[in-house]
Amino acid sequence: MLRIALAQIAPRLGALDDNLARHHEILEEARAGGAGLVVFPELGLTGYQLQDLAAEVAMRLDDPRLASLAAATHGLSASVSFVEESGDHRLFIAAALIEDGEIRHVHRKVFLPTYGLFDERRFFAAGDVVRAVPSRLGVGVGIAICEDFWHLQTPQLLALDGAQILLNVSSSPGRDLAARNDVGLGTATSWRTLMRTYAQLTTSFVVFVNRVGVDESVTFWGGSEVIGPSGEPLFSAPFFDEGLFLVDVNLEDVRRERIALPLLRDERLELQARELGRIISERAGLATDSAADAGAEPRLDVAPMAPVPVAGARRLKGMKPRRPMIPPPMRAPGEDGAGGRGADEPIRLRSRHP
Amino acid sequence: MSAPRAARPLPVDDAGRPLFELPDELAIDTDVARRVIAGFIRGQLQQAGFERCVLGLSGGIDSGLVAYLVAEAIGADNLLCVLMPYRTSSPASRGDAETIVADLGCRSELVEITPMVDGYFVEGAGGDRGAEASPLRRGNFMARMRMAVLYDRSVTFGGLVVGTGNKTESLIGYTTLFGDNACAFNPIGDLYKSQVRQMAAAMGVPRQVIAKAPSADLWPDQTDEGEGAFSYPLLDRVLYWRIDRRRSTDELVEMGFDRALVERVERLVATSEFKRQVPPVAKLGPRTAGVDYLYPRRRPGSARP
Repeated sequence: MLRIALAQIAPRLGALDDNLARHHEILEEARAGGAGLVVFPELGLTGYQLQDLAAEVAMRLDDPRLASLAAATHGLSASVSFVEESGDHRLFIAAALIEDGEIRHVHRKVFLPTYGLFDERRFFAAGDVVRAVPSRLGVGVGIAICEDFWHLQTPQLLALDGAQILLNVSSSPGRDLAARNDVGLGTATSWRTLMRTYAQLTTSFVVFVNRVGVDESVTFWGGSEVIGPSGEPLFSAPFFDEGLFLVDVNLEDVRRERIALPLLRDERLELQARELGRIISERAGLATDSAADAGAEPRLDVAPMAPVPVAGARRLKGMKPRRPMIPPPMRAPGEDGAGGRGADEPIRLRSRHP
Repeated sequence: MSAPRAARPLPVDDAGRPLFELPDELAIDTDVARRVIAGFIRGQLQQAGFERCVLGLSGGIDSGLVAYLVAEAIGADNLLCVLMPYRTSSPASRGDAETIVADLGCRSELVEITPMVDGYFVEGAGGDRGAEASPLRRGNFMARMRMAVLYDRSVTFGGLVVGTGNKTESLIGYTTLFGDNACAFNPIGDLYKSQVRQMAAAMGVPRQVIAKAPSADLWPDQTDEGEGAFSYPLLDRVLYWRIDRRRSTDELVEMGFDRALVERVERLVATSEFKRQVPPVAKLGPRTAGVDYLYPRRRPGSARP
């Protein structure tokens, strides 16, 4: 049996010392409550909307403040998140697994959303590694940060690499309050769908810890959860309220689920690697793109327009004559050529996916 | 997962007719919205080092709703509503504002802006043709005088000025730059007018305030929908599908919207873009505010001590 403490906190933006003190308090509170694993949200030590403050709150892994947190984890495992500055001065959104006084593992956020209300790639470097880590809990732990879980490969890689507990630490801004959403918040509906799916498909525990509070315009919605390896939600924290929530899980459930439903056993890694290798080669122009238009140049999947013949036009000096393109048959089964392109009609750019 | 919850029935008038029309796609979960907005208001104040708010209360639904939201978030004692009528303002509006103040039990002050406005236009400062200034000039000036009063009361009361403009009027530019759109923060600026009505009903804003025709009340018998020749539910739907749901003009026409209306709304949105943004600064130095000097508005050390 493992007691997991979900620290659904509201970090103060840029106030590293205040947030650090709060982390120490929560670690002690969780320890007193019998927790074996304490999980803090994304950028719990710094707040989220940092912009240019990121460089000012960044810590190297040898920072004494991190060491002080690690020192508070004797007999405990915890995941804490902060801005990590590498030796070559790149800034990462990081989450560390700290156990028994040591930093055991650091995950650097791989997928940095830079669209919509997000602007992470402007301020941060992207991590390059997705890796599970053995823990003092006796099972592998996989850490991912927020957007990392909006990419199928992250939970899959973590589970294949040996994680039986997948942690997702988040600063997810709540939005889309349309009444049609079953919990009144579109963001929450999407996240819940993802987490249940990942838990089921990886037959692992999924622990989601999302912050609360307000940074600038955005309100973080909380709703931290623990999902069992069958996809069943075991605990859902309230939306918007700060709190430390203790959830007991039976790690034996992973074994039971994986014996009964051996999805991970049946994954076809070599097939996946082979097909991914092919797609990568095709995208790089190193192999023929099997899905490209006829006549498309290497690396371009759409064939360019044929030049429209102009009477008396001279070829520009130095330009090579273009290969004549043969349009693929346009006739749909059962149609007698109706709607097909006339022989002398110019070929227009076509989308691969009409 | 549970099934979507049944929508709460809309409030009705004495004849049993709904007080307003709420298009399906615009209906929001008002419980969640109240939670988010209350936390937003408290967060803004806390980060700025303030505990109180000031707002201009016209007697209309937008400022009325904001008064209820602020009172719910921080308590009515911490809210000062300033009533700022001009001599042509509707007496009924003032009555509605007083009803709201009494219902909430918040503080209020009456500041007549007539001497300020007439002193400018009638007594010469408005230029040669000040006396015959257009309603537009007068209306904009009134909005800016109200802003000046609110920012002065912000100092004397020690509260932040709360914005009361909604998303619809912001998107079509039906607002006075540095006038009614001036504020420290705005809790309803992402709610369409139809959603403001839905929220107002959920918060217990008096029925007559919800039911009356929206008006800037800058001249007698002015109404938003009369001036713009649109209905809010229709306008809200066009804006929602065009902007929030990224549908093209042609797609909106296919959905049944009138092309001329859609194109008119698009023009209003495009021509008012400047009203929704901070003015550009000529880029000269290595780091320029808003361009490549990007800090959160509130950070350690930025709160009033």
